[in-house]
Amino acid sequence: MGILEHRFQDNVIVEKLDKLLSWSRSTSPWFFQFGTACCAIEMMAAAASRHDLMRIGMIPRSSPRQADVMIVAGTVTMKMALRVKKLYEQMADPKYVVAMGSCATSGGPYWQHGYHVLKGVDIVIPVDVYVPGCPPRPEALIEGLLKLQEQILNERPLTRKMA
Amino acid sequence: MNEDQDKLIAELVEKGLAGDMEPINEIEDRVLRSKAKAALVKAKRSAKPQETEDHVKQVSDKSSIDDKSLSENLNENIGEMVNEKFPGSLVNENTETHIQLTPDHWFEIAGWLKSEPSLSFDSLQCQTGIDIGENTLEARYNLHSMKHNHCTEIRISVSINKPVIPSVEQIWRIADWFERETYDMLGIEFSDHRDLRRILLPDDWEGWPLRKDYQVQETYHGIEVPKMKEGWE
Ligand code: SF4
Repeated sequence: MGILEHRFQDNVIVEKLDKLLSWSRSTSPWFFQFGTACCAIEMMAAAASRHDLMRIGMIPRSSPRQADVMIVAGTVTMKMALRVKKLYEQMADPKYVVAMGSCATSGGPYWQHGYHVLKGVDIVIPVDVYVPGCPPRPEALIEGLLKLQEQILNERPLTRKMA
Repeated sequence: MNEDQDKLIAELVEKGLAGDMEPINEIEDRVLRSKAKAALVKAKRSAKPQETEDHVKQVSDKSSIDDKSLSENLNENIGEMVNEKFPGSLVNENTETHIQLTPDHWFEIAGWLKSEPSLSFDSLQCQTGIDIGENTLEARYNLHSMKHNHCTEIRISVSINKPVIPSVEQIWRIADWFERETYDMLGIEFSDHRDLRRILLPDDWEGWPLRKDYQVQETYHGIEVPKMKEGWE
C-alpha cells in the first residue's frame, strides 16, 4: 500500500476496493435452497445446527434472485435438467455452482443404465466446485464451500482481465 | 440322599410356584439352594409357554383354514360369477391364483366387483403393468375388500400392437395415478381415463421405458441422454 500506509489514524485500514469487494463477496455467499434427491438431506444437515453453515456466512435463500451459490444436491433427471438450467439463468451475477455428490458430478449410480438421468450437471450449467461422495458428509460439503470461498476471494472483479 | 434332595426340591418348587419363596431362601446349602431356584425358574417357564403356544396354535389353525377355504373358494366363486354375468370375459378357467380377464368388459366387471355386496372390493391396493414378452403387455390389479377382509388379483393381457384397456379410474379413484404410471412406463392406454398424461417422465419423452424392446432416445432438448464422458471408468 506504499504511499498511503501509516498516513491515517490507527483505526483506518487502507485496502484496494477490488480486494474489499471480493472479500465481502466471499464471506457471505448465500446459497440457493433446493435439493433434487438424497444428497439434499446432507445439505440440510450441513445447514442445521450441528454443522451450521451460517458460521461461514452461508444462509439459505429460497429465491434464485437472492442467491449467489447454487448447490446442486442430488440426482438431476432429464426433466429436472431444463428446470435447473432455468433456475441458474434466473440467478443474478456473480453466480457460482457447487455440484454435490456423484450424481450431480457424473450421474453417480445411474451412470451406466439410468436412461433418464443427466450424466453430470456440468452438461447444462458451468460448475465451480465438485464435491464427490454418495452422499458426501456435511464436512465434505463444507470443505467444498470453503474452496469456493477461496476462489471468490482470489477474484478481482474490478481489474480488467488481460487477454 | 439324591432322591431325598429331589423330593425336597420338588416340594420347594411347588411352594415357590404358589408364591412362597421363604423356604427356598432359607436353605443353608448353597448348591441345593441354587438347584432349587433353577428348578423353580424352569417350572415357571414351562408353565407359561404351554398356555401361549396352545393359544397361538389355535389361532393359526383357525386363520389358516379360514384363509385357505375363503381365498380358494373366493377366486373360484368370482370366476364362476364372472362367467355367468359376463360370458366370454374369463380367459382362463383356472382361477387358483388370479383371475385372467379380457379387456372388453373390464369397466363393467370392475363396477360389479365393487358394488356386489358379497364381494364389495372397495379398495384397489395396487395396479401395475408388466411386459411379459411375446408381444404381450399385462395390467394387474390387486383388490381388497375392507368389509370382508378378502383379496384377489385380476390380470388383463393385451397385445403390444393395440394396448388398450378400459380405465377404472372412475370406479376406484386411486387408479388415476396408478394407471398414469403404467401408461408412463409401458404405454398401455387406459381408455376413458380423464387425465392420461405421463406421471414421472417429461411429457415429451419418447418411448416406453419398461418395455423389453425399449431404446433410449439419443437427445432430449439438445442434451445428450446416454453416457458420453469416455474414460471415466
Ligand atoms: S450421489 Fe448418492 S446420495 Fe447423492 S443424490 Fe446421488 S444417489 Fe443420492
